[in-house]
Amino acid sequence: MPIIPALLLCIAVALFRRSEKAVVEGPKPDVPLRLLRWAAGLLSAQRHEWGQAMLGELDHIDGRARRWRFAIGCVVAALLLPPWGRAGAGVLAMLAVAIGGVGVYASVLTHYGLGGGSWIGVGIVSVLLLGFTLAAVPLLRRPGVAVPGLLGGVFVALTWIAMSGFGFVSFITRVWPAWAVPLLFLVLPAAVGVMGTLWRGSAVAGRRTARLAAITAGLGVYLYGTIAVAHVGAGGPPDDSGFSIGYIINDRLGNNMIFYLLLLPLVTATVGWAASAALAHMRPQLVAADLVSFETYGVASPMPAAVGSAGVAATAPRTRHVVLQYGLVGAAALLVAATMLVG
Amino acid sequence: MQRNRPPSAQTINVLRALAADPAQWRYGYDLATDVQLKSGSLYPILVRLADRGLLETSWEPSHNSRPPRHLYRLTLAGREYVAALTPARADKKIPRAHNRLSEA
Repeated sequence: MPIIPALLLCIAVALFRRSEKAVVEGPKPDVPLRLLRWAAGLLSAQRHEWGQAMLGELDHIDGRARRWRFAIGCVVAALLLPPWGRAGAGVLAMLAVAIGGVGVYASVLTHYGLGGGSWIGVGIVSVLLLGFTLAAVPLLRRPGVAVPGLLGGVFVALTWIAMSGFGFVSFITRVWPAWAVPLLFLVLPAAVGVMGTLWRGSAVAGRRTARLAAITAGLGVYLYGTIAVAHVGAGGPPDDSGFSIGYIINDRLGNNMIFYLLLLPLVTATVGWAASAALAHMRPQLVAADLVSFETYGVASPMPAAVGSAGVAATAPRTRHVVLQYGLVGAAALLVAATMLVG
Repeated sequence: MQRNRPPSAQTINVLRALAADPAQWRYGYDLATDVQLKSGSLYPILVRLADRGLLETSWEPSHNSRPPRHLYRLTLAGREYVAALTPARADKKIPRAHNRLSEA
């Protein structure tokens, strides 16, 4: 199967790219500093100065406990500090979709009078959807990530739904052609990663775009799939007369969760990241743009341009480790998905 | 929509700490230690005071490649506000002209 080697090749390219960047690695920051750099990057452009103020202050605080306390407080402040602008609308929209997904799920269980065990699924789905929404908050607040991420997510979601012909019955009982698997699991996420990278001219932004698109698509397709189950119920082919209605409904709801809340986001984020990294390898200026702020940090400019990206080079070894893990998990997920869908 | 809530006790503490020596520039962490506020509370207060024109900010030049430090002190309007705030708080009244500070 050519998909797996292709994915692994992309991961290898990205890891090689990371190794190159590690050459310019600076002094290793501690966790509070990395945390605060991340949080400072969430602030809107007009609040950028305050992120620098927090970072400058942290640099003069000694003692592990005091640094942690200060950094955590600043992270909370950065996360909540207005203005949210369009990010607020994005978060509300995602929250609405997430609540819609849980609500439709619960209404299906109520409608068919399914037992207490089925409600465990509602709990799991609620945790996943809430986690997705919370994970989207910092991404939505990143400059240059929200729009391509949301657009990419809608594009991925629509493509997944379109592959089933936009019908509820066909969505549940779909049988994809063989060419659909590489399209949905490789080409589509890769296109999102490349688009995000080119949109902002930054490899870091490309990876974040892929993550936001993965979350957006997962939430959207999951809601659509749950509505489809609510609409179709236990009906439609294949003729599962040997099973109870409750079993079929639970099976379909469970499939929705596995495919759209786990598999789709994981593969989209992983392959999108790989594509972004591969593009950065071919166009080194994309990575150079991310590192400018690191080089000027605290030296040339009193206010670095992009604090959120400042830790990119310094955290390369850890990132490499995380990336490797993601790659392995993504490859395994892809293998499982391809086996299930094609077979 | 304008809100009429009085400034919080934390905001008043910050203002009073800054007003203790209005000419002196203060660091954020020192200010937080002085008024016993966590950074998560202090910075939103400072941001809103600055937005209201009550707080002046500046950057301390960096040394040895260390990041620059942000400095704070009250503006003239800030000093006037603190002066007006003290008797008003004693009477449990807030000057109408400064109602929007309640967001701080």
